[in-house]
Amino acid sequence: MNMDTLAALFHGFAVAATPYNLFWSLVGVTLGTAIGVLPGIGPALTVALLLPVTYGMEPTSAFIMFAGIYYGAMYGGSTTSILLNTPGESASIVTALDGHAMARKGRGAQALATAAIGSFVAGTIATIALTFVAPLMVKIALLFGPTEYFALMVLALTTVTAVLGDSLSRGLASLLFGLALGLVGIDLQTGQARFTLGISELLDGIDVVVVAVGLFAVGETLFTVARHCFETEELYQLKGSKWLSREDWRRSWKPWLRGTALGFPIGALPAGGSEIPTFLSYLTEKRLSKNPEEFGHGAIEAVAGPEAANNASAAGVLAPLLALGLPTSATAAIMLAAFQQYGIQPGPLLFDNNPELVWGLIASLYIGNVMLLLLNLPLAGVWVKLLAIPRPWLYSGILLFATMGAYTLNNNIVDVALLWIIGLIGFGMRVLNVPVAPCIVGLILGPLAEQQFRRALTISQGDATVFFTHPISLALIVIALTLVIVPTLLRWRAQRQASGAANHI
Amino acid sequence: MLKSANLRIGETILGLASLGLGLFIGAETWLTPPIVAQTVIGPGLFPALIATGLVLVGLQLLYEAFLYRLQAEDFPELDWKSVVLVASAFASQLVLLERLGWVISGTFLFVISAMAFGSRTHLRNLAIGLLLTALTYLVFDYGLDLDLPTGSYLEDLIALAGGPV
Repeated sequence: MNMDTLAALFHGFAVAATPYNLFWSLVGVTLGTAIGVLPGIGPALTVALLLPVTYGMEPTSAFIMFAGIYYGAMYGGSTTSILLNTPGESASIVTALDGHAMARKGRGAQALATAAIGSFVAGTIATIALTFVAPLMVKIALLFGPTEYFALMVLALTTVTAVLGDSLSRGLASLLFGLALGLVGIDLQTGQARFTLGISELLDGIDVVVVAVGLFAVGETLFTVARHCFETEELYQLKGSKWLSREDWRRSWKPWLRGTALGFPIGALPAGGSEIPTFLSYLTEKRLSKNPEEFGHGAIEAVAGPEAANNASAAGVLAPLLALGLPTSATAAIMLAAFQQYGIQPGPLLFDNNPELVWGLIASLYIGNVMLLLLNLPLAGVWVKLLAIPRPWLYSGILLFATMGAYTLNNNIVDVALLWIIGLIGFGMRVLNVPVAPCIVGLILGPLAEQQFRRALTISQGDATVFFTHPISLALIVIALTLVIVPTLLRWRAQRQASGAANHI
Repeated sequence: MLKSANLRIGETILGLASLGLGLFIGAETWLTPPIVAQTVIGPGLFPALIATGLVLVGLQLLYEAFLYRLQAEDFPELDWKSVVLVASAFASQLVLLERLGWVISGTFLFVISAMAFGSRTHLRNLAIGLLLTALTYLVFDYGLDLDLPTGSYLEDLIALAGGPV
């Protein structure tokens, strides 16, 4: 065990436990739970909308609040999945399968309880892991030059694209669209304006807030309004005993731990995201279960495991974000934009230059987890009431806040116009089942990748082979290529077999 | 039948959009006079790479749309009328926001969009819209030093009435 790390963590607690920061942590986790519960709003959107408002805040307090929102949304997302069967976040899709089945059987309270306690267990263990993994990552990152960073970013971009959604070409289209949006503005190295179409407001580039709010809020609202008359919602009320029985505990604790073990490492890898660990956790629990036939009909393991996994992955995602400056989910990408807003560059130097921010943030995660357990377990009934907000008001309110967020960015109407355009594009993407996360991550990582790319080539004096002669860089690129090629080959083989079988008939 | 035809159209639109964007970026990059600067890699290389990628993905999507046997995927049924209503209410903000101000134009957006979502309690929606926008206006303009527009027409009116601007 590393004593420096522990000392730094204690120092972090001193920062996080001041009444001022405790207050912002409480605001963050409360807001996070609320937006997690409400359909149509997620953590990425919320942090994006808060960016203009937090501009004048102390960075440490702002990030303590953002992290609270991120963790809180993971807790709150389960409520919507379980009681309404419409997942509030993509990370809670799996929870809806058996969680909603439990609610139909009148065991909604137990489903919520195992989700909340599982989230607490997973969140705490994963935060401990983050405490010790992040400094290790920093040590590795210090070996990285521009070449390796570029390769790492390529890997992150590829995995976000290849792993999400079921069509590689759609993921790539989304990613490239994000990268293209990232090109707009003045090129920092030469001062040349690129793709500004003669609009002076575009010289500073397209703000990530506008893109995130456009895709998540406006696009999502348009899609919901297009679908609202075809879908009916059925809210299951909580009734009966609120407590977990001895049997429930016995069946829950192992899935919690296994979910954590899957969630943290996958979240921490540049593969990122929380969708994959939740799916893996579900499959693992089903395979290990003595009664796999219960799955899909209200097996408590199928709620306990994935809910633990999504919270653990939220902690995991913070490791590469803080230690490498590498966002691997949409929310992490927006948080990186928040760092940029304060002129702070996350990465290895952050731990030296802003130790009170990093360690205060990590310490606040421990505190936030306890707050979330207290907020979610006894107060579950209060959060359920949020689901009673009429949908017309909820979504019209979201549109209102989206407009407000875009306008107050720079006080000009061009951002609102961009928001409208990107909202329409987001609607189209939603209809055509094109994943949105690659676009957001591409927009944020693209300009950084270009910078590292040009630096690397400047050092090598234009020799592009450096990316393949540096061993770390070569390894990262090979992994990235494998992630794209192997699934494509598998799909191709499956199709050939399918058509071969068809020919024989 | 209809569903798979829709999907094909959607895939084609996606492919064409990707192709078009790629060609646009490529052309812009090609036609922009190169800047004379002391850099090994100019500002054109990355856009060129992205343009190439977009063109390739666009072609692949078009290939999938026309030559692949599409797997049965759910293409959602859509209520286009509501979408157009919300999208136009939003577009009206571009004209109204700075002229009529946040409170009036925001309330308008709220009421129309609630209507599109099937709400029929128009007066109550109006009240909630006014409350939300007035509250955010006060918090932003007086509490946070951020500027939600009062509206140039309203400012003129206030000036005409001899009030402070």
